[in-house]
Amino acid sequence: MPGGPPKKGDKDKDKKKWEPPVATRVGKKKKSKGPDSAYKLPPVFPTTRCRLKLLKMERIKDYLNIEEEYVTNQERLKPKDDKPANGAAAGAAEDTSDERTKVDDLRGTPMAVGTLDEIIDDDHAIVSTNTGPEYYVPIMSFVDKDLLEPGSTILMHHRTNAVVGILGDDTDPTVSVMKLEKAPTESYADVGGLDQQVQEIKEAVELPLTHPELYEEMGIRPPKGVILYGPPGTGKTLLAKAVANQTSATFLRVVGSELIQKYLGEGPKLVREIFRVAEEHAPSIVFIDEIDAVGTKRYDSTSGGEKEIQRTMLELLNQLDGFDSRGDVKVIMATNRIESLDPALIRPGRIDRKIEFPLPDVKTKRRIFHIHTARMTLAPDVDLEEFVMSKDDLSGADIKAICTEAGLLALRERRMKVVADDLRKAKEKVLYQKSEGTPEGLYL
Amino acid sequence: MTKDLAAVSPIPQQDPPQEPKKPHVDNGKPIDDTPEELSEEDLQMKNELELCVQRLKEPNDALYRASLESLRTIIRTSTSSMTSVPKPLKFLRPHYPALKAVYETWPESGDKAFLADVLSVLGMTYSEDGKRESLKFRMLGTSEAAGDWGHEYVRHLAAEIGEEYNARITAEPPVATDDIVALALQITPFFLQHNAEADAVDLLLELEAIDQIVPHVDENTFARVGLYMVSCVPYLPYPEDETVLRAAHAIYRQVKRLPEALIMAMRLDDKALIQQDYDACEDPIQKKQLAFMLARQTVSVEAQDETEQEILANGKLSESFLALGAELGIMDPKTPEDIYKTHLETRGTMADSARLNLASTMVNAFVNAGFGKDTLMLVDDSKWIYKNKDHAMLAATASLGMLQLWDVETGLTQIDKYLYSNEEYVKAGAVLAIGMVTANVKNESDPAMALLSEHLTEGPLSVRLAAITGLGMAYAGSGRQEIADMLTPLLEDGGEVSCTAALALGMIMVGTCDGDLSSTILTLLMESPAVHAKSRFMGLGLALLYLGKQEACEATLETLKAIEAPISKSFQVLLEIAAYAGTGNVLKVQAMTRLCSDHLKENDEWQAYTVLGIALIAMGEDIGNEMALRTFNHFMHYGEPVVRKAVPLGIALLCASNPQVHVLDILSKYSHDHDQDVAVNAIFAMGLVGAGTNNARLAQMLRQLASYYAKDPNCLFMVRIAQGLIHLGKGTMTINPYHTNRTLMSRVGVAGLLTVLVAMTDAKHLVLGKSHWLLYHLVSAMYPRFLITLDENLKTKSVSVRVGQAVDVVGQAGRPKTITGFQTHNTPVLMAYGERAELATDEYVPLAPVIEGLVIVKKNPELMETDKE
Repeated sequence: MPGGPPKKGDKDKDKKKWEPPVATRVGKKKKSKGPDSAYKLPPVFPTTRCRLKLLKMERIKDYLNIEEEYVTNQERLKPKDDKPANGAAAGAAEDTSDERTKVDDLRGTPMAVGTLDEIIDDDHAIVSTNTGPEYYVPIMSFVDKDLLEPGSTILMHHRTNAVVGILGDDTDPTVSVMKLEKAPTESYADVGGLDQQVQEIKEAVELPLTHPELYEEMGIRPPKGVILYGPPGTGKTLLAKAVANQTSATFLRVVGSELIQKYLGEGPKLVREIFRVAEEHAPSIVFIDEIDAVGTKRYDSTSGGEKEIQRTMLELLNQLDGFDSRGDVKVIMATNRIESLDPALIRPGRIDRKIEFPLPDVKTKRRIFHIHTARMTLAPDVDLEEFVMSKDDLSGADIKAICTEAGLLALRERRMKVVADDLRKAKEKVLYQKSEGTPEGLYL
Repeated sequence: MTKDLAAVSPIPQQDPPQEPKKPHVDNGKPIDDTPEELSEEDLQMKNELELCVQRLKEPNDALYRASLESLRTIIRTSTSSMTSVPKPLKFLRPHYPALKAVYETWPESGDKAFLADVLSVLGMTYSEDGKRESLKFRMLGTSEAAGDWGHEYVRHLAAEIGEEYNARITAEPPVATDDIVALALQITPFFLQHNAEADAVDLLLELEAIDQIVPHVDENTFARVGLYMVSCVPYLPYPEDETVLRAAHAIYRQVKRLPEALIMAMRLDDKALIQQDYDACEDPIQKKQLAFMLARQTVSVEAQDETEQEILANGKLSESFLALGAELGIMDPKTPEDIYKTHLETRGTMADSARLNLASTMVNAFVNAGFGKDTLMLVDDSKWIYKNKDHAMLAATASLGMLQLWDVETGLTQIDKYLYSNEEYVKAGAVLAIGMVTANVKNESDPAMALLSEHLTEGPLSVRLAAITGLGMAYAGSGRQEIADMLTPLLEDGGEVSCTAALALGMIMVGTCDGDLSSTILTLLMESPAVHAKSRFMGLGLALLYLGKQEACEATLETLKAIEAPISKSFQVLLEIAAYAGTGNVLKVQAMTRLCSDHLKENDEWQAYTVLGIALIAMGEDIGNEMALRTFNHFMHYGEPVVRKAVPLGIALLCASNPQVHVLDILSKYSHDHDQDVAVNAIFAMGLVGAGTNNARLAQMLRQLASYYAKDPNCLFMVRIAQGLIHLGKGTMTINPYHTNRTLMSRVGVAGLLTVLVAMTDAKHLVLGKSHWLLYHLVSAMYPRFLITLDENLKTKSVSVRVGQAVDVVGQAGRPKTITGFQTHNTPVLMAYGERAELATDEYVPLAPVIEGLVIVKKNPELMETDKE
């Protein structure tokens, strides 16, 4: 092996200057989101009104002005470069318009619309028309081959069926809505306590996408998905949001109930579609909230609706761990009724990690209180310990509600600070509302 | 409704008495005050107010005081919802002009001033923009605390003060501003006490009186005030930024925070101030911490204590680094093959050639840098040097210096045997190695000076050049006059020697603005404007003298403009970019962009430096950093070849040791460019961007490139070098010149990095030619990216720390978290770019404000046993 190739290389060099081969990419390609995102404007902190923010904004503006000046200058210079050869330039313009008409001629009118089934080589492909038959046809040289991929919609010559153009791909609108365009603002810093849970979800979801090599070295397959479960208000969705905020992967969020559709077969189809999109945009994370809507235990049912829901779940089972392997697609599910889920759905291999979100203990409660009060101005008489140590069952959401309520009370008083009494009243109110409906008081 | 609730509420309304917060009316939009049905209370209030106004209008001055008092009480105690104007102000609106008229008619008295106060508050909501009536009446008023009227009033006043100040200075002739500055100083304490530090700083910045803030800052507010002020610095124009830094320094000194003050002093690069801060420290342990911080920035101060001197000289650096290596279990040497992983490359590469041997030498040096152990050079009777030819032998021998980095004593014994070799290049390499070993490290016995001085003037050219360069590396940033005196005569020698000498002098005297040296170099340029590949280093040497000194370079710049020589333009650009390095000065960025928008066909070498310059200037702050990347994109699109090939280098400078995914994608795209120069530079840039990170993604990209360029020796050589750089010090080092939470710029680091990048602008003749050893200049920028905690006796102490992504917390209320997504480790740990650490236990307190590098911790005296869980 060594010794062989170099000789060949030397020979090539003797013949002509060797040029690195151009990589031909046919078929499925990765969409590189990287470079585009590099040209976004940088975020500006702090968000409060202050001079620093102004200065930073001005700095961005200055740079944009510089860019504008540069680009306009260059655009202006461009035609000038051609001026010395004025006649040639005019000729060139004529040439291009000539060529355009020629291309239009080659395209012919009318054009037909078809689907690309397979690419045979650089110049040939198999296409199918809407009417049914498939053809082996040439691809015209002026078609951008980088854009061609199996399954894409193409323009065809009306008689020869040659590929003469390409239409932008159309994805299922129902799925593209689920794609999260804007990252949520919640980050890990907003999650109080839950250190264990954060770490587990990071290991299972984030690390495999960012550092796959770690798992390879260890010789294990990274987990495919996790399920988050626990009582309401313990931060399951919050954590999922934090994941979405942190990751640069595509984040698809679905609610279980969305998967239940009116017509037979639509639900499973939607599931398939979701995972197809997820794979296309891999690396990606699919977050299914309230999975119990479709994932309940199977039982004999005569109702068509029930059966359809069960079939949707079966499709989900297949997508999670079916015959085809999904690449860089991670699944996060959330529910507060894990005991009612079908055991097949949460077996290892489909969902490798079950992360429990318990009601916060004293320490966690303290952290949550601190997070929610961190941005509030508290009067010196406030002792959070009082609330932290109370014996009531408080979830994260309850604590947030208390803080908000206390803030509102203070606002009502037109005070800039929240005093201890505000918090006490707020807590009573929240606890009262929580126990509303349960007639415990009656039996005392 | 709200009033009712408030009346019932048992919650005491005790908190800040001045708090009735008065909302803004949108741009003085007319308030709808049609007499709709008013509740009884409102009606009562309205009547009361009208009664007061009526009394004020009457001539009976006995009732004035009482009615004013009641007006004040009503205004101050009113509450309503957030979205509308407080009721009393609403009811008083129709009377405002009348009250103003009344004011005019009154004679001077205490009551008149009182009325002015009330009018000032009313003026906030009624007067049109630009009249600043609030301020006017405020000045006429009783000047009792403004805060009593509420936050909104004070904010409004602050805004009007700013406007007034600007109006007064732009007026012809300028009007004195003492009175409003005095007023501003009155309300500053109010801001500071009420979580509005940003407002206080903004106001005083607006009035150009930021130094006045110092006496008002205390233990509780200094941290936030200081942080805000320091964050503003990169965005302020030249003289102002220094004023702010000095004010911040004064604040830290006032609250006895010497480490923070020292950081400010280092940022100002004020030798006297640094020495003063250092001497002011009385606690011997604290002082050692200061010494560690100074050593990181390679600043020398006078110290009596022996331990401190050793710290300042970076004497323990090698020891700490090796301890880190042992802790992480990476002491085993790695071979170049371990780095290349050729078995993962899809296509077989060429069999060994001289080029690849050279690459292996360098990769071996970079990867095992500082560990003093490898598989090629430091094994018993190594034959590796003799597997290379000529100048490659130089690189091989010199790599010893890199391998033994910072470890002066062992290093010198290893190098010694080659120093007396008969082979010219081996000798030159050994000479260079001596210089490298002592980079960033000072030693009392000055081995570099002792050993290298004899080779400066005599012997073959290569040895002389190596000796000069070695001295430059060894004493970079030391500013030692005796070394400079040794080198200065060499400037006259002409040719390569004088250029190399100029560069070495630039490294040694970096940022000193040495007038004698610069005039010597200028004269030299005037007399012998010979141009060759290395002339640029003379310009660079001159430029380094003014690194970061901003306007101090003007005189030299003017002189350069007068010189006719064609290379003078390059010198000018280099000088200007170096002088403004890291300042983020947009005007300079603009000037540079203009310079490289011309399409010159010849003599356009200097345009490459303008691109480097944009990166060099912008790297000081995050916004500029990202925006410069955008600008570079346009350069790639429109630029001439000379500009395009410099763009990857600029990116490398912006993101040194900071492999962000999108930057990697861009560089990966450029590495397939049709222009080979661009491709080579992009590959090298990939190495710099990932230097010392072990980034797996980048390594994968480079492996692909190795297959892709398997038959192109130049590109392949660069790919190998880049692979070596990624694993620099087995992933324990950084070459980013910014440290201490990205606030301080190491001048020596910048100098080293810039030298390599300038060399890369003509890669074909220099780095890919016979001057590959220029890459060793990176040694000045190399520093371990560790965090080691030490106890009071400077013994390493393992403490658990949280390391996570740093969060920008400037101007946020409350106690926001400074890091996110952290993981808890025990020290020693490695820290990547943009990461921050905090101690995870309350058991110890760090003595340094920024937990980075070597940090001394001591037991927390306030630790309560109950806190342990």
